[in-house]
Amino acid sequence: MSERSARRRADGIDDATTAPPPGADQLSEADAAYLAGLAPATPTAYHRQNPLTKATAATMATLGAFVLGGYVGPLAILVLGVVPGAIVAGLLGRLVRLAALISLPIAVSVALVSVFTRAGETVLFVIGPFDATLEGVDFAAQIIVRLFVIAMALGLFGLTTDPRALVVDLERRGVPPRVAFAAAATLETIPAMIERAQTIQAAQRARGLDTEGSLGARVRGVMPLVGPVILSSLTEVEERSLALEVRAFGRPGRRHLLWTLPDSGRQRLVRWLLVGLFLAVAVGRVSGSLPAPL
Amino acid sequence: MLSMRGVSYRYPGYARQVLQDLDLEIAPGDIVGLVGRNDAGKSTLCLVAAGLAPASIGGTLTGEVRVDGISTVGRPTHELAASVGLVFQDSNTQRSGVTATVFEEVALGSVNLGRSVAETVRRTRDAMATLRIEALADRDPARLSGGQAQLVAVASILAMGPRLLVLDEPTAQLDPEGTRLVGAALRDLAATGTALLIAEHKTDLLDGLCSRIIALDGGRIALDGPAASVLEDPALAAIGVESPARVRLARAATERGLTIPAGAFAR
Amino acid sequence: MSGSFIRVLIGVVAALAVIVLGLASVGALDPTVDPDTFLIAGSNQFALIVAIALLVGFVAYALVEYLQTRRLDSITRQFDTRTIVLIPIAIAINIVLGQTVGTALKMPVYMDSIGTILVGVLAGPIPGALTGLLANLIWTFVLSGTPFGSPYAWPFAIVAAEIGLLAGIFGYYGFFRSRPNTPTVPLVLGAAVAIGVLASLAYFGILPAYLKGALIGSDLATVEPFFIAIAVIIGIAVVLTAILLVVYLFLRRDLGVAYIVVGGAICGVVSALISAPISAVVFGGVTGSGTDILVASFQQAGADLQTAVLQQGLISDPIDKTLTYIVVFALLGTLSRRFTARFPQGERAVGTAEG
Repeated sequence: MSERSARRRADGIDDATTAPPPGADQLSEADAAYLAGLAPATPTAYHRQNPLTKATAATMATLGAFVLGGYVGPLAILVLGVVPGAIVAGLLGRLVRLAALISLPIAVSVALVSVFTRAGETVLFVIGPFDATLEGVDFAAQIIVRLFVIAMALGLFGLTTDPRALVVDLERRGVPPRVAFAAAATLETIPAMIERAQTIQAAQRARGLDTEGSLGARVRGVMPLVGPVILSSLTEVEERSLALEVRAFGRPGRRHLLWTLPDSGRQRLVRWLLVGLFLAVAVGRVSGSLPAPL
Repeated sequence: MLSMRGVSYRYPGYARQVLQDLDLEIAPGDIVGLVGRNDAGKSTLCLVAAGLAPASIGGTLTGEVRVDGISTVGRPTHELAASVGLVFQDSNTQRSGVTATVFEEVALGSVNLGRSVAETVRRTRDAMATLRIEALADRDPARLSGGQAQLVAVASILAMGPRLLVLDEPTAQLDPEGTRLVGAALRDLAATGTALLIAEHKTDLLDGLCSRIIALDGGRIALDGPAASVLEDPALAAIGVESPARVRLARAATERGLTIPAGAFAR
Repeated sequence: MSGSFIRVLIGVVAALAVIVLGLASVGALDPTVDPDTFLIAGSNQFALIVAIALLVGFVAYALVEYLQTRRLDSITRQFDTRTIVLIPIAIAINIVLGQTVGTALKMPVYMDSIGTILVGVLAGPIPGALTGLLANLIWTFVLSGTPFGSPYAWPFAIVAAEIGLLAGIFGYYGFFRSRPNTPTVPLVLGAAVAIGVLASLAYFGILPAYLKGALIGSDLATVEPFFIAIAVIIGIAVVLTAILLVVYLFLRRDLGVAYIVVGGAICGVVSALISAPISAVVFGGVTGSGTDILVASFQQAGADLQTAVLQQGLISDPIDKTLTYIVVFALLGTLSRRFTARFPQGERAVGTAEG
């Protein structure tokens, strides 16, 4: 631990600023209530779970669906884990629509590629040079089930967790403020860039540039779009970073965040149980002591 | 407060000295206007005063810059942030993009400084009160008018508690309504005892606000004196600065042989 | 022993352990080149194992540093403020251009790494790798409730990290520097070297994947005619690229383009090697984009899934990454030197400011 104090001295931070002096953090009740109100709204009990708990659940469900394989394992995760969570959160319908929307294009691809091109003994029917095999259908169905379960698990996490809450909670747990900032800033950057791309695309169209026609024409049509979109974003980088530095961005050491999210010993236990359960399943699968996936 | 002695600065990769042998002294509570052409070095002087040049953008600084008597050489920007604040012209690039309310946006700098939550809340409230933007506290900082957004940017710096606030053309991208809003807020701010250094094209805004005006030309100080005398100096036109409307009006009237009673156009 | 030495030691040990375990479980550390499985069973799994080992080593290093200091300073120090501000923009560029350009071009390319490569070049290999990693994690976890999120991005975080790492390394060695008015002799030499690298990359790195490890002229009788046709098409593509490169070099006299094409092709081959097993195992070799038709064709022609995905990647990725490198190179050329020089690696990668 001597390195830690040496680092602090090198950074010019004394312990007085990192650990608040006694009595300095006396917030009035009204102020405390105001700050608590700044945290994102959490309408249901599932929303109220700590972001890390929800993220752990989604990640373990994803990895579990992948390690278990087959149909029974992933569907059990879906029915026993994800669906009850979604019902508690009151957004089962929305979640199913979101997951279907996200997994549909890739599911169609999986079906077409696997059903017709996978070698197998039971030929179901033939279209031109392509044999549709039972093995291909089976393989495609397994992949699609897995993709759908993954989309449901991560979708439930996304729909019930404000990204700012995740980022704030991660910083409280020691993720560097710089990384937290990069993650949080992405949220606003993407819609802004889409808007920018659409504006520029419309302007290019008005000037007669198009993204139709031969390959050469398509490449020539795209380049004038890519350039301005990227350049206009990059020109802001300099002033943005200077403006942040003036606001003491990058100062080493912890920050005292205005609001944090509750966590509990029970949730910590649940997280470790989920991780343990996944590890047990993974070990069981690798060592062959679990039965083959159904 | 701020003291520059024989300061010269050149940007990385450029041979030209943008600031040349500058001497400047700003005392606590001074309200100083900074005028000059676009390439006279106003923005560069702001960056040097706030310690961003050379600490953040590189380049070569000679001479001595002291803030509160301590040399800025070799000190990272975040160490100076609590002493000198800098407001840029574009409120959009100054917005952090990571906060959902104006309150959190204004508090961000104070949080970054590692202050306790209670102190941050107190300073944030004070800063918003000074600029009369308490009503905006729960608004989304991305959805404000230009003038409001610039006031939030000023408040964000003010909440860190700097004794010198440097503003680089704070109204350049604002409509007349926004300019009026920011101008009024700067007057309120001047009354609090915070020293201000305001780089600005609009001399009408500086007139009556500043106690002192410095005119830059080619990286050197061309004029430096009490606001009224510098703004009425005929030499301003030669260095590309337009005098305030009242001065031009008085001058035009005199040229046409009208006698103007002394002080008729004074503010 | 200092804290940082312990961290590095634990990181290296963890990485080596993963390599040993990985090779033991794959069982493919056979130094004799199996003519049938030379590339297909061995090297792509090896590339993935090395990539995972680097990642595990890095995570172990970070974990030890966190346990020692409760902070991650030696890692966060890699990011200056400009790089941090650039990362969200880079992620947005990856996602937005990946969608608009990918669909507008109607080609089997992804174009979803422009931002990562940009950060790698300007900020260096480590920030580049971390940006790639972060970009895919954010894409899945931070954006998952928004219309831009993708639950399927995070398994490929390791590929994105490799892309950022390589871009940083190429940037460090000046691959992205414009070299206008190159004299004729170095131009000819440079063009020859570049074409040599491209040709050997194709001959040793790409073609064996279609010819059952057989190199041209040895034992082609066992190879399906379809794959020979593909190999011929690839050969023609490489020759065309070489001709275009030479024409361009002598019109513009900028040797920088030769570096870019070589760097992009190398990055493409490495990316294909690492991503193929992930894509095959997690998604059944399918990404939902135009490249899927290639996977289907290769499977139809008799390749197994793993092989088909690798074969597809070895066509798509070099094209995609070479195009992306060219786009980034063109972009860097339009940015002012004053802007690029302020990034940690900017001056080294792109050149000094004017004058």
